[in-house]
Amino acid sequence: MTAYLFRRLLLMIPTIFGILCVNFAVLRLQSMSLTEAMSAGSGESVGERKVGAGGWALESKIDRFRRTGNDLPALINTYGFLTKESVVAWLRSTAPNAGTKDSVRNQREKQLWLVGTFAVHPLAEVLSDSALADLHGPASQALALCAYTSIEAWDLNRLSGKRIQQIQARNRTLRTLVIAYRQTPGQPFSTADEHAAEKRAALVALVADPENAADFNRSGKWSALVTKTGFYDFLRRLATGDLWSESRKEGAFSVIAQYWQTTLVLNLLSIGLAWAIAVPLGIHSARRANSLEDHVTTNVLFLLWSLPSFFVGTLFLHYFCTSTASGAPWFPNKGLSSPDNLWFSTPRFLVDLLWHGFLPMLTLSYASFVSLSRYLRGNLLEQFNADYVRTARAKGVNEQAIVNRHAFRNSSLTLITLSSGLLAELFGGVLIVEMIFSINGLGFLLLDAARQNDAPLVMASTVVSVGLLLVGILVADVLYAVVDPRIRSRYG
Amino acid sequence: MGEHQGMWAKAWRRAGVRWGTGLVVAFVLLGVYSPFIANELALVWWDAQGLSFPVVGDLLNRWSYPKYYDIYFNAAAVLLPFLLIGSWLLRRRWSLVRRMVAGALVVVVAGTVCLLPIIPPSSAVSSASTTSVSGDWQAIWRYRRQSQALITEDHAKAMTIFAPVPFRAMTPIASQILKSPGSVDQTSGRRFWLGTDSAGKDVAAQMLAGARISLTVGLVATGLSLLIGTLLGALSGYLGGWVDLMIQRLVEIMMCFPTFILILVVVAMTGRDIFVIMVVIGLTGWAGTARLVRGEFLAQSVRDYVAAGQALGLGSLRIMFRHILPNALTPLLITATFGIAGAVGSESALSFVGLGDPTVASWGMLLEQGRQNIAYAHLIWLPGMAVFVLVSALNLIGNGLREAADAASE
Repeated sequence: MTAYLFRRLLLMIPTIFGILCVNFAVLRLQSMSLTEAMSAGSGESVGERKVGAGGWALESKIDRFRRTGNDLPALINTYGFLTKESVVAWLRSTAPNAGTKDSVRNQREKQLWLVGTFAVHPLAEVLSDSALADLHGPASQALALCAYTSIEAWDLNRLSGKRIQQIQARNRTLRTLVIAYRQTPGQPFSTADEHAAEKRAALVALVADPENAADFNRSGKWSALVTKTGFYDFLRRLATGDLWSESRKEGAFSVIAQYWQTTLVLNLLSIGLAWAIAVPLGIHSARRANSLEDHVTTNVLFLLWSLPSFFVGTLFLHYFCTSTASGAPWFPNKGLSSPDNLWFSTPRFLVDLLWHGFLPMLTLSYASFVSLSRYLRGNLLEQFNADYVRTARAKGVNEQAIVNRHAFRNSSLTLITLSSGLLAELFGGVLIVEMIFSINGLGFLLLDAARQNDAPLVMASTVVSVGLLLVGILVADVLYAVVDPRIRSRYG
Repeated sequence: MGEHQGMWAKAWRRAGVRWGTGLVVAFVLLGVYSPFIANELALVWWDAQGLSFPVVGDLLNRWSYPKYYDIYFNAAAVLLPFLLIGSWLLRRRWSLVRRMVAGALVVVVAGTVCLLPIIPPSSAVSSASTTSVSGDWQAIWRYRRQSQALITEDHAKAMTIFAPVPFRAMTPIASQILKSPGSVDQTSGRRFWLGTDSAGKDVAAQMLAGARISLTVGLVATGLSLLIGTLLGALSGYLGGWVDLMIQRLVEIMMCFPTFILILVVVAMTGRDIFVIMVVIGLTGWAGTARLVRGEFLAQSVRDYVAAGQALGLGSLRIMFRHILPNALTPLLITATFGIAGAVGSESALSFVGLGDPTVASWGMLLEQGRQNIAYAHLIWLPGMAVFVLVSALNLIGNGLREAADAASE
């Protein structure tokens, strides 16, 4: 049994890894749109660039970008190997006379800003070289943005107060040291700042300052190949719970902690309900196979199977949860419990839960019980034709015992296998049900986050709901082993 | 091909398949001819300047039909009578399947021609009747000025015939919000047969437009998922070994993932565009097909004809797709039917949760309005029943086909 469990757990590793990869790919899709958002936000890049209070919305955009980990290259980070020459080439390729499209130049420029600390030293070398005077403007801007260090939520615990103050002071200084420059169509950059020389010297001195050396050093460039990448960062943030939800201003996992139990309860209850209805129904229609009753049940269930749950849920809401002229609604239309349920006695609490949860559960489970009962019927019919049932009948075992003790026990294996598949549908469907009945669950949260483009929260809640799903599948596997003696005997 | 026709004939004997096919054909016809059923322009306009057919002239106008798929439907609307005549003339020479495929190809080619830039920049037509300013090559499908006169001018001067639903799906009338079915627009005297929604858009017109959306999403998404599923399943089943192992892990991951959540997340992250939605539904729905095709290929690849092909030195691809695949067509057809039903449901559900394309009318979006304005039953029943009927018609066909195939294999 332990060996079997272990084997099932091992099989889940590639699945979890694959799901994380899919999640990461989706996250990168969003990163592309953020780059576009950044380009849209700084539309003044052709013509004279204003560097003042208004131009620095960029900093907060980049900050948000860094919080999601989207500033890092996807799989391999080679920025540790940037040299002065490559940075010069990079800067030249963003010049108006580079001969490429504006959109491409913009993209290149933003990429350089997102390189981060690895570009600080090469950029400082560019600044200290007076032969490259034309590039000092864009290089200083890139340097200011690359050296900018955002203080994230978890930094408050990790770093000392003195260190945080130092970083914040540096950020403020960097903001004042950008050399204004001109770029006009078809021309290279030209510096347009009377304090250019002082700012340049100050920037070079800031990078050379031993106090900042630790932040900008490039000694870890080999390990950074793998560890300073989007995927690694994503995994690290997931593992340490560092995902930050921008829309809720809270850690993503602490938001989820308030929501996931509701969804779990709802799903477990509806699986239970589905079984409670499907098993008697399936046995009944299998025993009366091909009677009129069976035909009617089959057709009704078939139609029920095609009925979309959002339609059914909305109908319930319309007919049972809306107060009419004749009186109060039959069922509440919001949440899983009354607002004052804290003062309820336990039985009253349970009744209240049932009263609130009945319609959502029904909406969620009818599709499951339809398919469960159909499969059960088909499988039972197969069992009835099997030799062991014929032998049992010949021995005079009564019909009830044949169905319950022999045939159903074998069919329940199929049911368990199916249930784990249905779980996946359930986790998708619960979203719609939670939305219709305004239940504060994981699906509701996911939907809300998706509507607000809050990628970290979406990722975290997807991972949690997939995790719950995998646990469900594992439980189904264990049940399978409990019911099936063959597995128990094979794995000792 | 013969075997499949035999199976189709067997399936056709089932009442469910006949009903299902009838309903699907009805939906297709409603979708294809929706510009003629719901349009604020006149079908026929006869005044001193002569006889004109504004709706027909508007069929390739980008203002009125901003989405690509609309053009294919419009091409189908124009070509369908001719295709039917052609099909009747060829009835003894070509099989039904061949005629249907040829007809579909004609529609696709015609629609694509209308979408491609084929009119040279200096054409006299382009300067006269379009608002375009660029000197590029133009498609037949482009922005044209709509003659407002045909909508608002006094009808008494002309003989006119209007469409039964005199509204367009996406044109809101601000003063006519949440009207019940059958109410009349006091300013123009036109009737909202199925009422209006919360933005004042006519529900009947939106229902017809929704039929187009649902059918398009169903076809495109299922086509894509069949393509991917068949390819991966075939490779996995025929080649075996580590390719099989990798693809099976991939299939397992896709099976494990709550597909609807994945679709939702991708759509939310990339953009609420109807084409993104179609592609994402297609990209996430191939796991079942891949598993099925793999099973078929495993079963077929030990058969003698495959060994004969290998002995003759045919390439793997040729054996896979010319020899084995035709034997797996029946289960593929069955999956496709269920797949279309699933895709239609997914698209509606996506619009229902507020992540549909806001620029197109879809059933899910109407139902969402019904949820927000819960007292208005027409906004719930109409779109809900439309989804239900289309999905169950497709499921009926799929079920009938499956039962026929099971009966044939026994």
